[in-house]
Amino acid sequence: MGYDSAGGGLIDTRTGMIDRTIFSDQAIFDREMDLVFGKSWLFVGHESQIPNNGDYFLSQAGREPVVVTRDAGGDVSVLLNICTHRGMPVCRYDKGNAKRFTCPYHGWTFSNTGELSGVPLNSEGYGGKLDRSKWGMIKARVARYYGSIWATFDEAAPSFEDFLGDMAWWLREFMMGPDGEDDGLEVIDGILKNEIPSNWKFGAENAAGDLYHDVSHKSVQRVGLALTGLRTRHTWDADKAKFRMLNITFPAGGHAVRGNLYDVAGRDYQSQWGANPEVDAYFRDAHFARQKRIGERERLLNRGGVVFPNFIYNAANRTSVTSYVPRAPGRTEIWKWIFVPKNAPQVVKDVMRHYLLRYTGPAGMVEQDDFENWGSAQIGAESHLARRLPMNYQLRLGGHAQWAWPEPWIGAGALVDEGVSEHAQRIFYDRWTEMMTGQPQAFRREAAE
Amino acid sequence: MTAQGAPTVTTPTAIASTLKERVEDFLSYEAELLDERQFDRWLDLLDDDIHYWMPLVRNFEHSRPQDEYSRQDRDAAWFDEGKPTLTQRIKQIQGGDHWAEEPLSRTTHMTSNVRIVSATEDEIAVKCRFLLYVNRREDEVRLFIGKRADVLRVHGDGFLLRKRSIFLDQSKMLFKNLTTFF
Repeated sequence: MGYDSAGGGLIDTRTGMIDRTIFSDQAIFDREMDLVFGKSWLFVGHESQIPNNGDYFLSQAGREPVVVTRDAGGDVSVLLNICTHRGMPVCRYDKGNAKRFTCPYHGWTFSNTGELSGVPLNSEGYGGKLDRSKWGMIKARVARYYGSIWATFDEAAPSFEDFLGDMAWWLREFMMGPDGEDDGLEVIDGILKNEIPSNWKFGAENAAGDLYHDVSHKSVQRVGLALTGLRTRHTWDADKAKFRMLNITFPAGGHAVRGNLYDVAGRDYQSQWGANPEVDAYFRDAHFARQKRIGERERLLNRGGVVFPNFIYNAANRTSVTSYVPRAPGRTEIWKWIFVPKNAPQVVKDVMRHYLLRYTGPAGMVEQDDFENWGSAQIGAESHLARRLPMNYQLRLGGHAQWAWPEPWIGAGALVDEGVSEHAQRIFYDRWTEMMTGQPQAFRREAAE
Repeated sequence: MTAQGAPTVTTPTAIASTLKERVEDFLSYEAELLDERQFDRWLDLLDDDIHYWMPLVRNFEHSRPQDEYSRQDRDAAWFDEGKPTLTQRIKQIQGGDHWAEEPLSRTTHMTSNVRIVSATEDEIAVKCRFLLYVNRREDEVRLFIGKRADVLRVHGDGFLLRKRSIFLDQSKMLFKNLTTFF
């Protein structure tokens, strides 16, 4: 089934069926690069990676290589890391400090804000007529949001705030320290990068709201990972307060949050780092400070989610961001940033760093099983026989999710499903279809009614 | 490994006269235990205070060679842990429900260029090169090559591994998972 002939027919979130070719077809992948990645705001990094003027680091905006810089005035630029002359990446170091970048091929030189500042043979070779203002590096629009840095190369894209919609609060809340202080995180130096043999969407949809894949993580649950003293991988498992598990989605943008909505406001702290009393004391203080700072929204524990299309975050003491870099239909690079609270004592930073390094990435005792399973799912996406059947996304299908959740602070644009459900994945693919076809999808029509 | 004719580790120490031969024999024995999936016996060779560390590898300009590997005790790393969590990793592999190692990978560890850097009555610092070949399921292949710096603690007639630093010749991890020990 070719994409053009099928139109939006590959995805039917009303019936919960998704054609497997969206994970394996090269033509669909190529269109995604233009219509999804080319038109979205994409996470490229964090301000703590470039603390000083002149600092820079390499990153990816989807499949596009970029260099993120802080200039002499402290402003942040995101530049396509491509020489406008012959296409070489002009910066080849993971990070550093530089006022300018000189291409190693013919020596075209660009300032750290992307302007073409020097061209060899400018007068004798170009007769002094080369208009340098037209040959600067391609610059992205940049949004800085509570420490996170985002970019898009699409001049027609909405503002970053409009792109986020009511997801804005939850992204802001993720970027807070555990004590509810805005912009409260810092990156642990070193980005974990690896490559998985799977389509980028398997990881993204998993973060949107796959809440029933404990089969995947059975082994790490059995062994125990969090420092709660229990056999568990999440610190919140030690909190016995009653909660409802919510799949919060924002259909207008395709974003989603997984959260625990605790029944009672102002709940007491229950030890979640029992193996280390000093760390536990920090989190106890932070728990009450957060309640004071953020008010009624403290009832929701933001566990993680997705900013469409490929920004994945894990929250609730597993503070990390994953960016899925699509390389081919069945090949995805994973870039992973791990964060600690910047104002925490060093012992807290150390304990969290160790917990995160054992949790996440290719050596992570949790995520190894994800990478294994998504690689296996790709086999099913590439099987011609299996493609006769769509993939099944019918868990809790049909009228279960609600607009206008009783807690209005969750967001007017939120469509929420409670419990174990594939609702958030359906919303993710609804938004994907909308971007791929330009046709408003089911949930957007429903919201308009 | 129990299949007929398959090799089985039987001797913890061979008859070796020089310190270098004893060190080489220890490293070979340890590698054999891993390759034959005798993980509990491998754990027995680790000092209770072992630090097992594999930094990330980054690309820096020539004037900053010291920054190529991420910093110990501060930065991210592929591995940065002690015996309790190495024991957890082994328990995870042994349960039959850790899908990234189910079925278990086939591995061959090779060590070469073994050189004793310093030796006291208690501790021996050893450098070597390693090659780890991993093959799993039908067609998955991973090849890890790099340098290792080990510290062995003298323990009775043999040694215990006190510290292992693993410097992989890879920046981006070229494979989906790091489920094997080095």
